[in-house]
Amino acid sequence: MRIKPKVLWFQGITCNGNTHSLLCANPSRMELFLNSFDLIYHPSLTTQTNLLDIINSDEKIDFLLIEGAISDDTKFFSILNHSVKDLLSKLVSKSTYIVSVGSCASYGGIHAKFELNDDITGVQNSLGKKLTSKLKHKVINLTGCPVHPEWILQTLFIVKSQGKIQLDEEHRPVDLYSTLTHHGCTRNEYFEWKVEPEHFGTKEGCLFYNQGCRGPMTKSSCNKILWNGVNSKTRLGMPCIGCTETDFPRANMLETNKNIGIPAEVPLGISKRAYLSITGVAKTFKISRLQDKLINYDE
Amino acid sequence: MKTVDIIERIEGEAHLKLEWRNSVVKDARIEFLNFRGFEYMLVGKPPLDALVYTPRVCGICGQAHLLSCVNALENLYKNANIDLEVPKKAKLIRELGLAIETLDSHIKWFYLFIMPDVVSLSPNDYKEYEPIKGQKWLAATKVASDIMRGLAIFGGQWPHTSYMLPGGVMCDPTLIDLATIENYIDQGITFFEKNLSGVSISEYLMFNNVEDINKLTADLKDFKDISFEYGLNNIGKSYNRFFVIADILGFKSGRIKQINAGKINFEKIKEHDDFSFDATASKQSSKKYTWAKTVNYDEMFFETGPMARALVGGRKFIKAIHKEYDDSAYTRVMSRMDEVAYLLQRCKKIIKSIDISEPSYIQPQVKLKDIPYSKARGVVEAARGSLMHEVEIEKGKIKSYNLITPTVWNLGPGSKTKPGTAQKAIIGSKSIQEATITLRSFDVCSVCTTH
Repeated sequence: MRIKPKVLWFQGITCNGNTHSLLCANPSRMELFLNSFDLIYHPSLTTQTNLLDIINSDEKIDFLLIEGAISDDTKFFSILNHSVKDLLSKLVSKSTYIVSVGSCASYGGIHAKFELNDDITGVQNSLGKKLTSKLKHKVINLTGCPVHPEWILQTLFIVKSQGKIQLDEEHRPVDLYSTLTHHGCTRNEYFEWKVEPEHFGTKEGCLFYNQGCRGPMTKSSCNKILWNGVNSKTRLGMPCIGCTETDFPRANMLETNKNIGIPAEVPLGISKRAYLSITGVAKTFKISRLQDKLINYDE
Repeated sequence: MKTVDIIERIEGEAHLKLEWRNSVVKDARIEFLNFRGFEYMLVGKPPLDALVYTPRVCGICGQAHLLSCVNALENLYKNANIDLEVPKKAKLIRELGLAIETLDSHIKWFYLFIMPDVVSLSPNDYKEYEPIKGQKWLAATKVASDIMRGLAIFGGQWPHTSYMLPGGVMCDPTLIDLATIENYIDQGITFFEKNLSGVSISEYLMFNNVEDINKLTADLKDFKDISFEYGLNNIGKSYNRFFVIADILGFKSGRIKQINAGKINFEKIKEHDDFSFDATASKQSSKKYTWAKTVNYDEMFFETGPMARALVGGRKFIKAIHKEYDDSAYTRVMSRMDEVAYLLQRCKKIIKSIDISEPSYIQPQVKLKDIPYSKARGVVEAARGSLMHEVEIEKGKIKSYNLITPTVWNLGPGSKTKPGTAQKAIIGSKSIQEATITLRSFDVCSVCTTH
């Protein structure tokens, strides 16, 4: 690989959220990234190049980063008077590593919910097996809506030094997507002792029981590599909405789907029987430290 | 018809088509050819899920969509005659989120989007503004990233958090959180003083006449110098009518038509689609050329955004600049950067007003999905201007959802008889460069425009 691998950022059907997430990277990490890679094109950042010139040149791309979903339809969406899929295919033929940045590029994401265009999908699916089987490396999916900037940088740095990265069944790097969102959540003790918050807007309680938190069923590093370097949704009190999984967005994301008062889905890999046994035991203890407010400010 | 096919470095993609007569632009079309169908997606979804969907309309102004959405959802209660209490603390935290996101948007817009075009007008060396490599570009992305940490302290993350909901907010900040947020705002103030204006923020906020511009010594001085040398103070003028939809962050809602200020009657806001594609049609009629709709008030086009807010709210420095240079591209950019100073001090004020002993959330007595029918709107002032969400619910599901974004006000295709606000500003341009800088002065966000 080149000392400074060439990176091209291509946008399909997107809200640009992953671009703005990237711009929120830790500034010194961002500088390291820009010094270590040659960002030859990004539709909203670079000024010296244009996409069609690059496509028509002999220039090879080391990392093709794709933000947004793919479609071959041009009624609803076109870029530079081409379909998204058309440009993607042209770019893929010049690229060594293909990275889907975000849930939309990975599997269609929220944009696939627009049913008037039934052709919206992710990069891997759009390219099809025939094309992707010829690639030197499998398409890398970085799911998340948006993706965390560090997940992008770490993936690029690993592949730059190792030439490859191990992926799970959803084509996500195992280094980033093996743990659950739940891991590292500061509300974990409330989960262990089955303490529900009274309602939204509290520092206390686990959001799994009523608020719809998908933390124990979702693979991500959200509570390991903190967002904007400082926090995560579940830490502050917003349930995980499972945006790194391919069933995002689901229905009723801010409440827990329950059967006779028990969460319909239990933590990943735990049998319902095991979950219910532990819950039953934990709930018999009323631990006052966990029932009380963490901090009582004077009025 | 000469075409500047693609406008580079915007949010999404837009095409600008110009018709010339005697080397002057006689007619202009702004074409938005991409449509993602958020209003269609939302139909049939549970009402609260709109809080997850709508921020994803736009990666740069998701907080504005979230707040507009939550305002609309709360008004569903009101319009169904159900009492709903929202703690003052929650309202302040929501405003803080909107203010911080707007700051991020303004700073990134100036350095990443408009300055690369502005400095290209000049033969002088402005290398530091060069995207990706220039020190000023890097400094702007650094401070934007730092400011957003402040939002993540109470929003969990940015972009795309949904921490607001009917009844309040999901977070419950500690005193340390508030102090940390204030620290990040202070970093923003340092940036404003050292990099952007070159004067202290307190001195800047005292500016009240057009000559005060000469006190600027930092990057805004570069902008001013190039503007005057290349006449940005004379280009980009439109109807000189301004519209502010929401009373928020100290901005006053209202409109200015020539010299008459007035209140807003929502019934007079009308969307039109004379030139806009129809998503459900199998064949589009030939006069349709864009996915953007157009919106007017009382059959007149208005400009929305930072200039409108500064003028309707009566901020003295911008009023003085506007008096001299009207609604020019120069006034438009200065208004947006002036709002940086305004919002930084506003954030400090909001943080000081938050009483952490109050609740963050009061659970509504009724769930939204148990309200048989209701219809409501929610409004907010987003970075680029007035944003409105209209929602209708029936039997626990969203029946209809309509978005009118700031860029529809500014960049919509106009009516059969009159050009839209940005179109009018572009007509009369003497070069492609002039036309594109004028268009960019409105901040072209195609993702919001067509949604």
